[in-house]
Amino acid sequence: MNTATETFYEVMRRQGITRRSFIKYCSLTAAALGLGPSFVPKIAHAMETKPRTPVIWVHGLECTCCSESFIRSAHPLVKDVVLSMISLDYDDTLMASAGHQAEAALEDTIERYRGNYILAVEGNPPLNEDGMYCIVGGKPFVEQLRHAAKDAKAIISWGACASFGCVQAAKPNPTRATPVHKVITDKPIIKVPGCPPIAEVMTGVITYMLTFDRLPELDRTGRPKMFYSQRIHDKCYRRPHFDAGQFVEAWDDEGARRGYCLYKVGCKGPTTYNACSTVRWNEGVSFPIQSGHGCIGCSEDGFWDKGGFYDRLENIQAFGIEGNADQIGGYAAAGVTGAVALHAAVSALKRAQHKPETDTSGKEDA
Amino acid sequence: MVATPNGFDLDNTGRRVVVDPVTRIEGHMRCEVNLDENNVIRNAVSTGTMWRGLEVILKGRDPRDAWAFTERICGVCTGTHALTSVRAVEDALGIEIPENANSIRNIMQLNLQVHDHIVHFYHLHALDWVNPINALKADPKATSELQQAVSPSHPMSSPGYFRDVQNRLKNFVESGQLGLFKNGYWSNPAYRLPPEADLMATTHYLEALDLQKEVVKIHTIFGGKNPHPNWLVGGVPCPINMDGVGSVGAINMERLNLVSSIVDLCETFVRNVYLPDLIAIGGFYKSWLYGGGLSGSAVMAYGDIPENANNFDPAQMHLPSGAIIDGDLSQVHEVDVRDPEQIQEFVPHSWYSYADESVGLHPWDGVTEPKFALGPNTKGTKTNIQALDEAAKYSWIKAPRWRGHAMEVGPLARYVVGYASGHEDIKDQVDRLLTTMDLPVSALFSTLGRTAARALEAEYCARLQRHFFDKLVANIRNGDSSTANVEKWDPSSWPSEAKGVGISEAPRGALGHWIRVKDGRIENYQCVVPTTWNGSPRDNEGNIGAFEAALMNTPMERAEEPVEILRTLHSFDPCLACSTH
Amino acid sequence: MNVHAKQPALHDAAPIAPLGTADGGRGGGIGRKVTSIYVYQAPVRIWHWVNALAILVLAVTGYLIGSPPTSIGGEASDHYLFGYIRFAHFAAGYVLAVGFAGRIYWAFVGNHHARQLFTLPVWSKRWWGEVAFELRWYLFLERQPKKYEGHNPLAQLAMFCFVTLGLSFMIVTGFALYAEGQQAGGWADVAFGWVIPLVGGSMTLHTLHHLGMWWIVIFMIIHIYVAIREDIMSRQSIVSTMISGHRTFKDDDPD
Ligand code: HEM
Ligand code: HEM
Ligand code: NFV
Ligand code: SF4
Ligand code: SF4
Ligand code: F3S
Ligand SMILES: [Mg+2]
Repeated sequence: MNTATETFYEVMRRQGITRRSFIKYCSLTAAALGLGPSFVPKIAHAMETKPRTPVIWVHGLECTCCSESFIRSAHPLVKDVVLSMISLDYDDTLMASAGHQAEAALEDTIERYRGNYILAVEGNPPLNEDGMYCIVGGKPFVEQLRHAAKDAKAIISWGACASFGCVQAAKPNPTRATPVHKVITDKPIIKVPGCPPIAEVMTGVITYMLTFDRLPELDRTGRPKMFYSQRIHDKCYRRPHFDAGQFVEAWDDEGARRGYCLYKVGCKGPTTYNACSTVRWNEGVSFPIQSGHGCIGCSEDGFWDKGGFYDRLENIQAFGIEGNADQIGGYAAAGVTGAVALHAAVSALKRAQHKPETDTSGKEDA
Repeated sequence: MVATPNGFDLDNTGRRVVVDPVTRIEGHMRCEVNLDENNVIRNAVSTGTMWRGLEVILKGRDPRDAWAFTERICGVCTGTHALTSVRAVEDALGIEIPENANSIRNIMQLNLQVHDHIVHFYHLHALDWVNPINALKADPKATSELQQAVSPSHPMSSPGYFRDVQNRLKNFVESGQLGLFKNGYWSNPAYRLPPEADLMATTHYLEALDLQKEVVKIHTIFGGKNPHPNWLVGGVPCPINMDGVGSVGAINMERLNLVSSIVDLCETFVRNVYLPDLIAIGGFYKSWLYGGGLSGSAVMAYGDIPENANNFDPAQMHLPSGAIIDGDLSQVHEVDVRDPEQIQEFVPHSWYSYADESVGLHPWDGVTEPKFALGPNTKGTKTNIQALDEAAKYSWIKAPRWRGHAMEVGPLARYVVGYASGHEDIKDQVDRLLTTMDLPVSALFSTLGRTAARALEAEYCARLQRHFFDKLVANIRNGDSSTANVEKWDPSSWPSEAKGVGISEAPRGALGHWIRVKDGRIENYQCVVPTTWNGSPRDNEGNIGAFEAALMNTPMERAEEPVEILRTLHSFDPCLACSTH
Repeated sequence: MNVHAKQPALHDAAPIAPLGTADGGRGGGIGRKVTSIYVYQAPVRIWHWVNALAILVLAVTGYLIGSPPTSIGGEASDHYLFGYIRFAHFAAGYVLAVGFAGRIYWAFVGNHHARQLFTLPVWSKRWWGEVAFELRWYLFLERQPKKYEGHNPLAQLAMFCFVTLGLSFMIVTGFALYAEGQQAGGWADVAFGWVIPLVGGSMTLHTLHHLGMWWIVIFMIIHIYVAIREDIMSRQSIVSTMISGHRTFKDDDPD
């Protein structure tokens, strides 16, 4: 993983490309851009000395919100990331070329930078219908994903879609949308969950990799510890109200206006690992809880199917019966109590019938 | 040669050109056209190439959660589905929201319009008109002069500023790693700007990138984050507390000041940069007036931005509503989204199945059952399509129709409807633009017109943000700080069966969500989305959709470089995640 | 009907008479009248009541953690109600866990009754036969119950499922939840943090732990009822046994 110091030229040489064809590539680049031959040595010089890490950013089933979030990054500014830190060689949402030329750009990067580019995945591949719920270039997206993953140095799974499946994988997951790590199993994968993730968390992960030339330390589920090792709840500024027992009981009530804890209106902060209560959103302007709505747990695996967003207790579906833990447990306990009462009544009746056999007189020692 | 009922002559005998992926859009899309011997498009096929099944996933869930699911239909028009969803649920359950909630929702929706339009113009559309490589040839002094001429009050206009940007661009290009500009069509003669205009526009590409992240902070204040802010059935989740205990954590003076400053920022940027750029760039493309499609004959809007809470009467909404058909601008028809005869979705050319595909279904009775199948004349295989057979099913987008007509929706549709129905602000804006650019009204019905209407709308919406900000403040001053109505929050207060519809004008056009609620759960949920209208495939009568219509009869400079196709498709700002959901 | 009478004795959950063991296995031959056996040694009895108390506290505070009491007003820094509720839960959780560990230790060093809670002779057909017999007794299909020193086989099975498995589950899930508050790297995280991804996330863990509470509550209802009922209807002492440690028998029949 010392490739950030390896120049483009070195990479090409390592792959057996001669100096001659390297210069030829530089002049082709210049020509393609309509630039004169005077640019050729400049391009050659740049590529010999300061390469930017190529990034291929592919899109599966998604809402493109992760891209939208990415471009909100304030530090670093996204223009600086794209112009000076990485080389975003393929990203169908933003790239100039389309169709065959776009596909050629992808192939070119894979070809030239084998083992040295980062693959960023937004969204996920559907596997039902031979993958044709998401088609790119006439073929299933999952093929493009596998193809681009094969020679990647590492993979970043952007957002809840790539990391966990997200909304299209919510029950009954009609397309069998599948998170990246279940399709690609032989590459290091960094999950950056959230729906979407915070912009500065996204650029933070990338710049960490460029600056320290290594993958960030990951937790048990593959998320960078630096942003995902604590819950929203652990750093929530409403926590004193939680501990005090001061809760918003209904929307826009006195407690809501005073900023009480949102636990009782369904806040999932206690079960959600993310950086929102510290990094916050859009340059620290706010985060969901600060603006009065509970956390819906958007960085957690399967958060769409963990009960309503306004309930503390999760809905449990079993055998077609639906309820939360207290309903199910309460009914069960009531049923058992009823059975016990019935049993006690029958016991008393039986005992009355067979008095002699169950005589207990004087046998207790206290 | 086939003549469609909506007036286009399709000829699929010429050379077939395929563009897949169509880039600089949201989501996945494919486009195929046939060119005649003069490289003029004579047949167009637009295909939505993704489907996630949100309508299926929503069944059986809590209607109060639906906004969060539908919001994830799209992160680009983030929030608009959520707004439409809470409106649908409120309509079904008879919930009235407080006045403040209406103002806040309107500010958020308008803010989205401004943001989405700016990002679309600079980051998705501009490269169809602007050649950043050509900008390297510009004289920064000439650019500075151009800038000062088109927008005297924009402060960032010195030659030094443009030189810095140009140097940065030069370094970037000379690095040989072209990133997003790689394999662009930079030598195609379709690009017509002089270098100084290219440099100015490229500079604004970067300025707009910095700016857009500021614009959305209004969503962050009221909804906690952007993308995907939070919403609430019955109002908005953010409480207002101006000077009581705990106001420091609620919508207070500091928050309102921040909102106000962003409203200013939006207005300033649109006035000083966006509109002048549109006029400057448009000026060089005045003779390229292709891509009108359905815009002159069949357009539709539902209306949005209600002045008063809970009142969706067209007369008191700030964005216009109505339908124009058969090119008759003298008549604006009323659109009734509840009428089973008006809005219907057809699937004979879509990858879905109905029990009877010869009829359309009103969304309240809508069915979403995927069925992927390729026609007999498809070239290639199931998992490697070379060319589609448009006589059969060929898209994941359904075909919505209004009284049987394929309709165009979006900023241009809104502006045409608004203009035709005498909307004063809209008329004034349009007339001023046409005068400035010295163009006839008919020039509106084009790719360029679509792009221009979007810019005008950004200006109008930026201004309306101020209106609702002032209204919010006045209402608070009058002692009303309520933001949510919780009377019917508890499902036990709901009828056992109910149905409702929510409408809005999303950045890309008319959006509707139809819901049926049964025993506290969603029984059926159907979305008919702007790009479903615009990107629709053919219907059972053979009408082509707005994308396909707009591509027709456009000449291409080079058959293998789809600049013109991209240009026209982009003028709709296609959102495929939206269209298929 | 009395099939059991012909069967050789099983280790612990066996009818009392054929073996006639008392007080750690010494004494009694066949047919000899046995009136009292020392079954539950002091550590078991102390554990039993401490454990019962801990569970009571855990169930009440646990329920409140899931459904907090109505909000109180005033300055947040003046109150710590929910904090105390949670603290009581965690403290009782530690008591429960330490007690349970102690009880496991006692299973090794205590008398053979002390092992009954942790060992099920699931491979023994005869034992299952006795389970079936007890089931029939509780369903009023047998006229007379048998005598047991320790638990009857059905009780043993129930104890194992509700208590041994149930408490283990509550302790593992409880400390996995505790690990979240204690933060990554803490002992609970190292020991139990792996449970969170295993069950599919923190929210699911809460739900499972919460459901576990009802499992334990159901046990409590049955357990207390059966203890009192057996005390009245069976041929041996029950409730007092858990106080004094002695099992006394109410008749002189051999089984
Ligand atoms: C019989 C044993 C126990 C019962 C009945 C019980 C019950 C409960 C219940 C009902 C909850 C609320 C869950 C929810 O809805 O979120 C809970 C939470 C919790 N329990 Fe237990 N529990 C038991 C044992 C333990 C043990 C041994 C520990 C270990 C320390 C423990 C630690 C916790 C923690 C950390 C929480 C989460 C508190 C929070 O989210 O604020 N529990 N328990
Ligand atoms: C949550 C509360 C309770 C729990 C978890 C619990 C658990 C247990 C356990 C595990 C045993 C078996 C002891 C062993 O074999 O090591 C036991 C036995 C016993 N428990 Fe409880 N207990 C609880 C409450 C009570 C209460 C309230 C009573 C009194 C009415 C009671 C009466 C007994 C008696 C009499 C025995 C001995 C049964 C026998 O002789 O076989 N328990 N209990
Ligand atoms: N089409 C569409 Fe949207 C918009 N505007 C939704 O309603 O973009 Ni994703
Ligand atoms: S994770 Fe969420 S925000 Fe990101 S693409 Fe998926 S649905 Fe959109
Ligand atoms: S608002 Fe949510 S995250 Fe904050 S303290 Fe309350 S429960 Fe925890
Ligand atoms: S909903 Fe998502 S944005 Fe943060 S506060 Fe919760 S993880
Ligand atoms: Mg639909």
